[in-house]
Parts: sequence; structure tokens; C-alpha cells
Amino acid sequence: MKEPPLSSLRGFVTLQVTGPQVEGFINAVAEAGIVIWDVKPAGNGASLRLLLDDFYNLRPLLKRTGCRMHVTGRHGLPFKMLRLWKRKFFAAGVVLFGVSLLLLCSMVWSIKVEGNDRIASEDIIAAARKEGLYTYQWIWRLKDPDKLTTELTNHLPGVSWVGMERTGTSVVIQVVEAAQPEQKPLLSNRHLISRTDAVVTNIYAEQGRPVVARNSRVKKGDILISGILGDEEFSKAVVAKGEVKGLVWHEYNIAVPLETKGSSYTGERKDRSYLVLGKWAIQLWGYGKSTFEASRTLTEMDPLTWRSIELPVGWMTEKEMEVRETSATRTAEEAKAEGLERAKADIFARYGSESAIKSQKILHEKKENGKVYMKVLFEVEESIAEELPIVNNQGE
Amino acid sequence: MTRIGRRLRGWTNGVLDLPQDLLQDMPRITLIGNKELHIENHRGVLHFSSEQLKLALAKGSLEITGEGLMIRNILGQELAIEGIIGEIRYKESEERS
Repeated sequence: MKEPPLSSLRGFVTLQVTGPQVEGFINAVAEAGIVIWDVKPAGNGASLRLLLDDFYNLRPLLKRTGCRMHVTGRHGLPFKMLRLWKRKFFAAGVVLFGVSLLLLCSMVWSIKVEGNDRIASEDIIAAARKEGLYTYQWIWRLKDPDKLTTELTNHLPGVSWVGMERTGTSVVIQVVEAAQPEQKPLLSNRHLISRTDAVVTNIYAEQGRPVVARNSRVKKGDILISGILGDEEFSKAVVAKGEVKGLVWHEYNIAVPLETKGSSYTGERKDRSYLVLGKWAIQLWGYGKSTFEASRTLTEMDPLTWRSIELPVGWMTEKEMEVRETSATRTAEEAKAEGLERAKADIFARYGSESAIKSQKILHEKKENGKVYMKVLFEVEESIAEELPIVNNQGE
Repeated sequence: MTRIGRRLRGWTNGVLDLPQDLLQDMPRITLIGNKELHIENHRGVLHFSSEQLKLALAKGSLEITGEGLMIRNILGQELAIEGIIGEIRYKESEERS
């Protein structure tokens, strides 16, 4: 055993003992059961170490043996604490720093809301505040996440699930909004009237009272499905809904040229590269003239950029591409077919793709100035219903 | 210690083969190389310097000479000496009591 256990914690002192009877003093100390160690002869006495607790028991022994002592070294925690106490504000600062760091770390600093479309983040944060989750709240005062999220789910309308995740000092609230039924547009009471002169081929009233029958001829503006139910005494206006189809005639004047012109790239190409410095461009590659008869040139500027700032230095490439002009002549038959195709496409585009062309009739046809002129009558079955709002006093 | 008692002890020693330091007041001295010396059952320090150390024993004294001697620790009747130990001289004297 070199020294008693935990001597540095309990504190020990180094003493210089002088006197005529140092040996006697050592014997007396050993007899009294005081632990001493590292007893070295020094000067005309001895230096020794002993625990701070035993230090105050030495006085009678010293008196008895006629020795004198003075302390040459103080070691261990009690003396360090004493030194620290002399700088108490420094020590307090160290402690305060640690404590404040700990406190600031156990605070909620930011709350983020994710996954909400319809519900405003502010509403969710306000609801969370009521549950005790807000910025600058102590983390240890937060409720259990399970409990908190169920409470939030109960208090927020239009939410099917709420999740909460805390990483360090930031909290993320994840929200899954409840699926809501599609809202139907509000409609005002109305009639369905005819958009054009037609012969009705099909009428189907989902709501309202059909007024016309199949195969009856209607004029533009005639009511097809009435939005007023009942007789003169008891009547009620409703939103007329339904589908009415009718045969309609369309007359088209078509002109199709026999010769078509076009241009296409041949694939041959000549590139020129320039280095751009401010206003000047220095050609680096692609010297020499091209041998193309006809060409189109594409210029691409590629300035150096640094964080969306364009520098005056850059690269420019010119692509000269050969072009071939093509022209094709077609027969009158082909031109006619294309003209009819175009007219049909126009009908589908204007009157809906569910329209059906029942018949077509070329009324007149001539070839003049390299073009084919035609007058065609189409018989088309299409939707002819149009909405007409019912004005209030009309129902009376 | 009476004469009969001493003889009785000597006899039990012979019969039971017990270590001497337990029965008679003798020191147990352990020497580790020339660096460390442990002495149990001593009777106090008589002289103490870095060259010479004198210990009192129950019968006689022990003289240790060397260089840089120091008492590593001392507690009751146990003592550990550190340093370069040159000589150990055991001086037996007649009974003091």
C-alpha cells in the first residue's frame, strides 16, 4: 500500500518536520494509528505526507516530542476547491454556461407542419399550442407523443392522422388530411334549349320535363327540356339536366392547293465556335465557308455563370444546317380527300368528339389556279342542348 | 514470560510447525531485491537518515544502511522502506523486559 485509497479526493499535505526527535515523532504517529507515507529525510528533519483529516490530530504529538512542522505542499480536491472558491465568479460562469447549454438544448425551437394542403399551418400550430406544444416550450413538459397526436387528431377537423417527430430541438408535425367528397358545383335553375335548328334524334332527361319528342324539328332557342315542373297552379323550378341529340346540317367551303411546299434538314451541318470576351467574339473552330446552297443558322450563347450572375466571358456556337426545299404535286382526288378530312376534323373540334357524321354531300366542285374548290354539306348528329337560366319572375 | 511458558511454546513449535513470528515476538523481514524492504512486527524507529535506518525490535535492533532510504509508509507495526539497500545488520540483545 503506497498511500491510502482516495487520498487525492480526501486531500493530503506534505509536512516538513524538524526537531531533535524526529524518530520519536514518527513512532508516536505510527502508534496513534495515523497513516503517513513517503517519509524522506530532508534537511535536519524529515518530510512526510499524511491525510488532511489526520492533520489536526498531530498537534499534541508534536508538542509531546518537541518537534516543529511546517506545511510545504497541499494536494487533493479540498485544496483545489478552496482555490476555486477564490475565483467563485469564474467557477459560477463555468457552471452557468453548462446549465444554460443544457436548458437551451431542452427547449423546442422550431415547429414544422408537413403534409397539409387545405388546413392552414397556423391552425395546426394553434391547435398544438393548446395541447402544450409551442416554440420555447420545455421538452420535458411535452406530453407523450402518442397522447398528443391523438388529442390533435380529435381537435383538428378534417384530419385523419397526425404524427409527431422530435429530432433534437425541432418538432415536425405530420398531417394526413381526410379525404372529402367532391363538391358539386352549385347550379341555378335552368332550361335546356336548342343551340341550332335541328331534328331531334335522341332525348334523355335526367332532371326536368322533356318538351320535344324524337324526330321533331326544333328551331334555335326552342326549349328542349323544361326546368319548370307542375301545372300552372303548382309549379317548381329545377335544374334541367339531360342530353339531347339532333341532326344538324353544316355547309363547308373548302379550298385545297394541289402543290405543297416544304423544307427539311438534310443532316449536313457546319459548326463554328467562338470565344466571347465582352463585345468581341474570337472564332476558334470551323473556319471556311460552307458549301450549302440553302441553310439556316442557329446561334447558341453559353456565358460563364457564377451563382446566376452572367460573366462577360463565354462560349458561342453557330450551327449552320443545310436545308432542302421540297415541293410535291398531288392529284385532284388526293386534294379532295385531304379537304374533306380537314372539314371533319373541324366538325369534331367544334361540336364535340361524340358527334357522328351521318352523311356528306359534295354540292359543287371546281379546279382553278392550282387549287381545288369544294362546297360540301355534312349531316351531323350532335348534342344540341344549351343552358338557359330561369329568371325568378318567370315562374310566377 | 515465565520459564514454563517459554518452554511450552518451544514445544508447541516443534510439534505443530507454526511460523516463528507468530509465536515469538520476532519480526518478519521481506526483502525485494535491493529496492524494497518490508518489516512487520517492529518496535519503532530509532534513527532515521537517508544513509542509515535503525529500527527497534522486540529483542535487539535492526540496522539498515544504503542510499536514498525513505520510509514509504508506516502504520502501526508495519513498515516499508524504499531505496538502494546495501546492508542489513541484525543485532540481538538479551531480553529487555
